[in-house]
Amino acid sequence: MKGMKQFLAACLAAAVLLYLAACESEKDPTNLISRTEGQKRVVNLFSPMEKTNPDAENVARTAADLTVSMAEEKLGVTVDYWTYTAEDYQDRTYDEVALDRARSSMDDLYLLNPDVILALGSEGQLEDLSGLESVKNLREIIRVANTVDGKLVAIPQEVVAYGLFLNVDLFKKYQLSLPQTPEEFLECCRVFRQNGIETPIGANRWWLETFVLAQAYADLYNGGNTQAEIDALNSGEAKYSDYMRPGFEFLQTLIDNGYVDAEKALVSEAIEGEGPDFLAGKTPIVMAYWGAANTETAYGKTDFEMQVIGFPSSRGQMPVMPMTGWAVSANAEHKEDAMQVMNVITSDEALQLFSETNRVISPSQNVKVDCVPALKPLNDRIEEGEYVLGSNAGMNVEQWGNTCLIVRKLLEGASVEECMAEFDALQAAALKKQK
Amino acid sequence: MKAKVNGPKKVRGLSWLFLIILIFSVFGVIVSTVSNKVTREMSNSAIQNLSESLDLIQSTIEAILRSQSDFQSLIAREVAGSEDPEAYIRGYQRNQAMVKLSLILAGETEGISNTGERFTEEELNFSSGGSVSDMPMSQSYVNYMGTWAYTLKCPVEREGELIGTLYAEYIYDAIDRSLPDGFYNKQASLYIMDAQSERFVLKPKGMGQRSAGHLNLDDFYRANDIQDTKIREEITECLKSGEDVLFYHSIRSADALNYIWAVSDGTLFLVGYVPLEAIQQEGKTVNQNIWIVVVSLLISFFLCVALYHRNRRQQEKLRKKQEEERQLYNQQLSEALKAAQIASESKTTFLSNMSHDIRTPMNAVLGFTTLLSRDAENPSKVREYTKKITASGQHLLSLINDILDISKIESGKVVLNLEPFTLSDVIASADSIIQPMAKSKHQTFHTKVTGIRHEYLIGDETRLNQIMINLLSNAVKYTPEKGNIWFRVIGLKQRSSQYEHIRFEVEDNGYGMTQEYLKTIFDAFTRAENSTTNKVQGTGLGMAITKSIVELMGGTIEVTSEVNKGSLFQVELELRIQEETSDRRIWEEHGISRILSVVGTLNDKENIPALMENTGVEVVTVEQEEAFRRLKNDESFQMVLVDWEECGFQTAKAIRSALPDPVVLLLLSEFDASGMEEAMQMPHTDALTKPFFVSALRSKMEELWSRNNSQPEAEAAGSLEGMHFLAAEDNEINAEILTELLDLEGAACEIAVNGRLALERFQNSEPGEFDVILMDVQMPVMNGHEATRAIRALEREDAKRIPIIAMTANAFAEDEKAALDAGMDSHVPKPLNMETLKKAIGHLNWRKENP
Repeated sequence: MKGMKQFLAACLAAAVLLYLAACESEKDPTNLISRTEGQKRVVNLFSPMEKTNPDAENVARTAADLTVSMAEEKLGVTVDYWTYTAEDYQDRTYDEVALDRARSSMDDLYLLNPDVILALGSEGQLEDLSGLESVKNLREIIRVANTVDGKLVAIPQEVVAYGLFLNVDLFKKYQLSLPQTPEEFLECCRVFRQNGIETPIGANRWWLETFVLAQAYADLYNGGNTQAEIDALNSGEAKYSDYMRPGFEFLQTLIDNGYVDAEKALVSEAIEGEGPDFLAGKTPIVMAYWGAANTETAYGKTDFEMQVIGFPSSRGQMPVMPMTGWAVSANAEHKEDAMQVMNVITSDEALQLFSETNRVISPSQNVKVDCVPALKPLNDRIEEGEYVLGSNAGMNVEQWGNTCLIVRKLLEGASVEECMAEFDALQAAALKKQK
Repeated sequence: MKAKVNGPKKVRGLSWLFLIILIFSVFGVIVSTVSNKVTREMSNSAIQNLSESLDLIQSTIEAILRSQSDFQSLIAREVAGSEDPEAYIRGYQRNQAMVKLSLILAGETEGISNTGERFTEEELNFSSGGSVSDMPMSQSYVNYMGTWAYTLKCPVEREGELIGTLYAEYIYDAIDRSLPDGFYNKQASLYIMDAQSERFVLKPKGMGQRSAGHLNLDDFYRANDIQDTKIREEITECLKSGEDVLFYHSIRSADALNYIWAVSDGTLFLVGYVPLEAIQQEGKTVNQNIWIVVVSLLISFFLCVALYHRNRRQQEKLRKKQEEERQLYNQQLSEALKAAQIASESKTTFLSNMSHDIRTPMNAVLGFTTLLSRDAENPSKVREYTKKITASGQHLLSLINDILDISKIESGKVVLNLEPFTLSDVIASADSIIQPMAKSKHQTFHTKVTGIRHEYLIGDETRLNQIMINLLSNAVKYTPEKGNIWFRVIGLKQRSSQYEHIRFEVEDNGYGMTQEYLKTIFDAFTRAENSTTNKVQGTGLGMAITKSIVELMGGTIEVTSEVNKGSLFQVELELRIQEETSDRRIWEEHGISRILSVVGTLNDKENIPALMENTGVEVVTVEQEEAFRRLKNDESFQMVLVDWEECGFQTAKAIRSALPDPVVLLLLSEFDASGMEEAMQMPHTDALTKPFFVSALRSKMEELWSRNNSQPEAEAAGSLEGMHFLAAEDNEINAEILTELLDLEGAACEIAVNGRLALERFQNSEPGEFDVILMDVQMPVMNGHEATRAIRALEREDAKRIPIIAMTANAFAEDEKAALDAGMDSHVPKPLNMETLKKAIGHLNWRKENP
């Protein structure tokens, strides 16, 4: 009985306390708006991506996004994303818009393709990044390939390696070994076509240049005389067109034999155009970048055995590695913050996160990540040091963008000779500018 | 039958269940109705809320566009007013909103821009018909800065005459700067769409998520999976007519309000969606709270039900318990009543027995005294009558002792007097009392001791004796002539090293008891009644007293019996072992280290060495032949034990002759062994009564050693002749008897009627006038204890040493102890027995001589 009374008394006391707590609603006359809200530090970033809402569910954040978040968290800045996507091939390209925006100092940070880096770098539109802490960890080749007029104008978050993505099941079906040289490659195409595969190569308007660059510079980059050969090109002693010719002739052969559908390629965007046929097993060969093998929206999940190899060349399979890179506008409105963001997103910590997320080759010599089995042949060549740079800021004629544009001319019907003349003109302009 | 009983209960339970379900259903309906109503109202308010927000943004954009057009009109007037309009244009510096200014003079197709380039209208598309404040607005495009822009054109008129057209390019970034940072806590998405191209030309910062579609309206449809043709058609219609669209559509499984909101009569549109959760944040909370309240109510309800049930169960339990207790009390009460009735009956029976039992000897005493007075002249008759009077008196005394004993035990006044004693004394005392009784009835009394390891113990010897005598005398009493009585003392396994665990067994083959009687044997005031035992006299208190004493000692008593077959009483006691005995030293002092034991029974063979273990004396137990062989081999023994019953006189004699003179030969014999006289004549030979005990052996040896030392008999009951007593006795008769008895012994006695007078008499006496003071305890004026203390406190040389002997009717151990504590030397019980008195005085004298 006594226990019951005590229990009831305890209940009553708890009820009174709860009631008091529930009724407490007095409002203090304080300013509810934080006074620091107005002093937000902002960095404007122009890239092909939109920002991912960190709270959004079911949306995989991109690797770059994660590193940007890291910078926002560490520095207390807000990175505002600005973007542009071309609607179709008649639209202005991302590169063109990027050039305009950088020249108009519209943004602070840019993600740029190699040709744009070289163009803006030589115009002095990009800030020298060599003073950043993170630069010390970069591989030497990365530093060389992004240096324009002695200034390190861009830093990549990944080393983009391009290769040939092959449907190995089809190669096995027709008892074909994976091609090493241009001749072997042509033979494979012939066998495929003979067996009813009308267009063995899926192509778009961007990436056919990789065939050309692989054949053009296989010897230059792997022959042991790289700097001398580049010097000869820069001085005009050697001609770019001489290097380029075999690749263009090779492309011409592919077009002539119907191995590549030139008309379709000319209006096809990357992956969107040729991807579906490759995934459906209709096309045995496409070309793409390393990351496409890891991304489910690209070629990360195929119903057949896929392998990624280098492009055919006289020296065997040759990966082609252009560099996209992050750059800071020389006239950026928020240059100081942009430099700090740059320092964070290219730090070892960020690059480790980036590489682990996308499973790509890191520009930092300190970051190592395993690759998927399909990429092993390509990775082996890179590890052996056998590859071709898709872009080199040390060459006075920009390679990646120009070759792409001239290949488009070939697709449009220009002859190899006309294309070579374009290169000669570019080299002449460059020499003239040097003088 | 059972089903019938359960039927109504089941139906009632079911109806309760239905009722509860009904109440809950009604409750559920009310709650969900309220919840739905709240949701509906909130949905309406969400639509209104979003519409207002979008109207606000729309108005802001329209205001910006209007101010741009107003500014452009202003510039147009300035251009018109300038002398060289083209120079004005060239000199114009771009600002944040207006990034390019161009002019085409009237009648020309090409003009100039402030950027220095040539300008034609061909690059621009004004076909959509969109306008701001009547100024045509171009389709949006990506300008030279790489950002989305539009151009407004206005005429430049000078004095009413058109002199050209002014084109101003604006970037959408300018609008962004005037819009809020984020929309519905950044959960909503918002794009500005160019109506004609359906391209998304601006995503204000902080608005929208990835995958929301960011290219154009088709991209938006695709990314957000808006496939419904009806709504798409409606959107198309509204895009044409410049009307607003607001519709529900789930974006990535979350309910959302999607909108296409016209700006500037449909020149631009706001496109996007807002998750309902973002608008109805408080709605979710309200609904959650409703459910929290509901759940809390339900929990409270069930808690109350549970508490109610618990309470009821507890009450039921309590009621049952009380009922049980009441029943128990009733039972106990009735049992107590029954017990009281039985006790009352027993006491009535007892009283009637007692009155009979007391009257009988009293009658005898009174009758014989009558006869005595008549035949006083006939000495032989006088002797006969006095003998009978004495017997009757003694019987009467034992009756009274028993009655007093049991009343004392029952009232819990008995205290055990724990003192060192030897087991042999107890057995010997029992033996000495029972043997003659048994003999007189021609019964055989067997005593056997086995397994005892320690015989020097601590306990109340008197009470222990009382137990044994009670049991044994009962056995003698209830066993017919020529029967057998066995007395066994068995050492059991010790439970503690400090206690000897002993079982005393008394068995007989006498009348036995019925099972009914066995149940009440230990109750007071009962007595086996039958024609046979009726011959036996007794109070019936003996067994009750025995049991009480055994229990007082922490022991147990059990009895088994069968009519005409006999009874077995088993008493188990644990008696504390004396810590140190001087045994070892005594044997060493007298140089006894080896004893030859020629014993027959297996029991003794084991017993004797076991008992002697602690003495440090080696006991060699052998058969007769072996004994001779050993003695011949001159093995040295300081003593030889020979079993008289086994070996007989001849063997004893032979052994004696083989022994050197000083070696003592002890003949172990039964109590009543016959034919030993001749053997006892042998030198250094004596008898030791069975069973063997170290203490008995030691006493015997001490006796022999003292005899050898020619010491006088220690406790010889001395003569009282010539002694002068001072006796304190208040009872006249007792005083007279005492005087007479002492007179018979040739001693003189002076009586003092109380303690004080005794004290005064002693105080005034000459030293040595009195030999002994006899002190009654219960006296008026000053009792015996006080008187003794006073005497001992006197300043006289003999006050400390004069023997004072207590005489008391209180024959209990504690009375003796009290007497000794008061300073008395000894204690004799009343009625006074001269032999006892002599012994006591003899003992005191001996003690005085051998302090």
